[in-house]
Amino acid sequence: MPEAVVRREEAFGEETVYVAREHLVAAATLLRDDNDALYRMALYVTAVDFPDREPEEPRFDVVYQLRSLMYNDVCRLVVQVTENDPHVPTLEKVFAGMDWHERECYDLLGIIFDGHHDLRRILMPDDWEGHPLRRDYVSFGEPVAFTHNIEWALPAQERPPGMPGSAR
Amino acid sequence: MAAVLPPSGPGLPPPPEETEDVYSLARAAIGVPSDLDAVELVQIGEQTMELNMGPQHPSTHGVLRLVLDLDGEVVRECRPDIGFLHTGFEKSFESHTYQQCIPLTDRMDYLAPPINNFGFSLAVEKLLGIDVPLRGQYIRVIMCELARIGSHLIWFGTHALDLGATTPFLYAWREREHILDINELVSGVRMMTSYIRVGGLMADVPDEFGGMVEQVITTFPKRIDEYELLITNNPIWVERTKGLGVITAEGAMSYGASGPVLRGSGVAYDLRKAQPYSSYDHFTFDIPVGTHGDVYDRYLCRMQEMRESVRIIDQAYRNLPDGPVNTTDRKVALPTRNEINTSMEALIHHFKLVTEGFHTPKGQVYSAVESPRGELGFYIVSDGGNVPYRCKVRAPSFSNLSALPHMVRGELIADVVAVIGSIDIVLGDVDR
Repeated sequence: MPEAVVRREEAFGEETVYVAREHLVAAATLLRDDNDALYRMALYVTAVDFPDREPEEPRFDVVYQLRSLMYNDVCRLVVQVTENDPHVPTLEKVFAGMDWHERECYDLLGIIFDGHHDLRRILMPDDWEGHPLRRDYVSFGEPVAFTHNIEWALPAQERPPGMPGSAR
Repeated sequence: MAAVLPPSGPGLPPPPEETEDVYSLARAAIGVPSDLDAVELVQIGEQTMELNMGPQHPSTHGVLRLVLDLDGEVVRECRPDIGFLHTGFEKSFESHTYQQCIPLTDRMDYLAPPINNFGFSLAVEKLLGIDVPLRGQYIRVIMCELARIGSHLIWFGTHALDLGATTPFLYAWREREHILDINELVSGVRMMTSYIRVGGLMADVPDEFGGMVEQVITTFPKRIDEYELLITNNPIWVERTKGLGVITAEGAMSYGASGPVLRGSGVAYDLRKAQPYSSYDHFTFDIPVGTHGDVYDRYLCRMQEMRESVRIIDQAYRNLPDGPVNTTDRKVALPTRNEINTSMEALIHHFKLVTEGFHTPKGQVYSAVESPRGELGFYIVSDGGNVPYRCKVRAPSFSNLSALPHMVRGELIADVVAVIGSIDIVLGDVDR
């Protein structure tokens, strides 16, 4: 399926295949069923947040890792999505185990898996706000105001824009 | 439901085909207005009762909550609710240097901490491109196999306890004590050892180590015989576990299940054999597999795995080479006391490693080890800094637990406990 592959990278003895979003389901199905691949086992799906990339570049790398027991191999698929459109088609119909992994990825990183039958939070409480594994989510640290960071003590609305925890 | 008035006059039976009328009768009898939507009377055949099990339930081995839809005693649907033990380790990794992450990994799968340390260390070592000396590799193998036995012992004790056998629990904890003593001897800590570190080990093993390991090698096979005598052919045990919680090989793969759950279904896949890391290819051992994929086969697999682990420990201990246990790359491993005293450069390395840690090359790696529960993988993205940019833990329990609804559908409620036990989840590993 050459049209699905955006680019390939090889490093540390592992190959990473960047896949176009619209071809993801077809590519995963092919990898599962093709007799030369037989990647029957989906290990996980997660995403990596790169907020420092240029605004027009995709912010999230959604990473899929598949394992072929037959050929004793793993393969990594990456789909890149932007901050404004963090949608990826679901793979739960291809691999049953993807159900929970996609929920986890949605919960912690806010990637939306289109077509998932029950996309809700799995690890965090249902009423949690925000997605903790995004890089701009401040996980801990009581704001202590010193002279050099006095704006920490300000309420969220008054913090300078772009600052962690800023409401603007 | 359409409002149908009851037929007038007593003794007039409702039409046999239209069950709706029965309920209309019932509604009229108990004085419910027939157009009230809030009272939803459903047909008896479809009626299920929702039962909440956990999170504070002894058989869920931690804090797992199950919402069961029951039809009488038969489970129609099971919806696990997890996350009660979510600690955000993956977030914490992003603000700790690589060596500081090791104690965090201990606390994920808290029944087999050395294997967590090992998985993380291997991934970082892959990123750094360093090798650990053979002695270090062998000691790592011994510690991991001891941890595997310890973890399986807890599984064995609690699984048997769940099904009403009290004695094995006490025996299993007695035997695990030896393994915890070895942990304490080598690392000073009984459970959260942090003994395996990036680049090697915390320190070489002390002299008493040999005697204690030999004791495990000689006594342990007899102990397993004892357990098997108690349980394996016990008619109550066999009756309760055979044919229960079946998952096919195809199903297990699709759910991403690994470890004894996958092997119990007949797939002989073990990362120690398939992708030998840390000189596992130097040792002779077998992969036990089941045939039916039921609770009993998973039980047999794990019991046999303990024997295989003893075999590996035996070979690793008899062939334990001399030499250093840590890599000599001073950009990663701390210099020895003697080096610090005599070399300025070593002192600087020591200072840099303690204050700042080491930097890894930019890139992404995935590395997996075979934990007692299955494939424990670490996917690390590095931006060239001294902390992981992103570290995803592929926890075996998480995937194995996601197959639970599939396994318990159609089983009896009392057997849910047996199926949970046979998956051998650790909630710290599920929720991370």
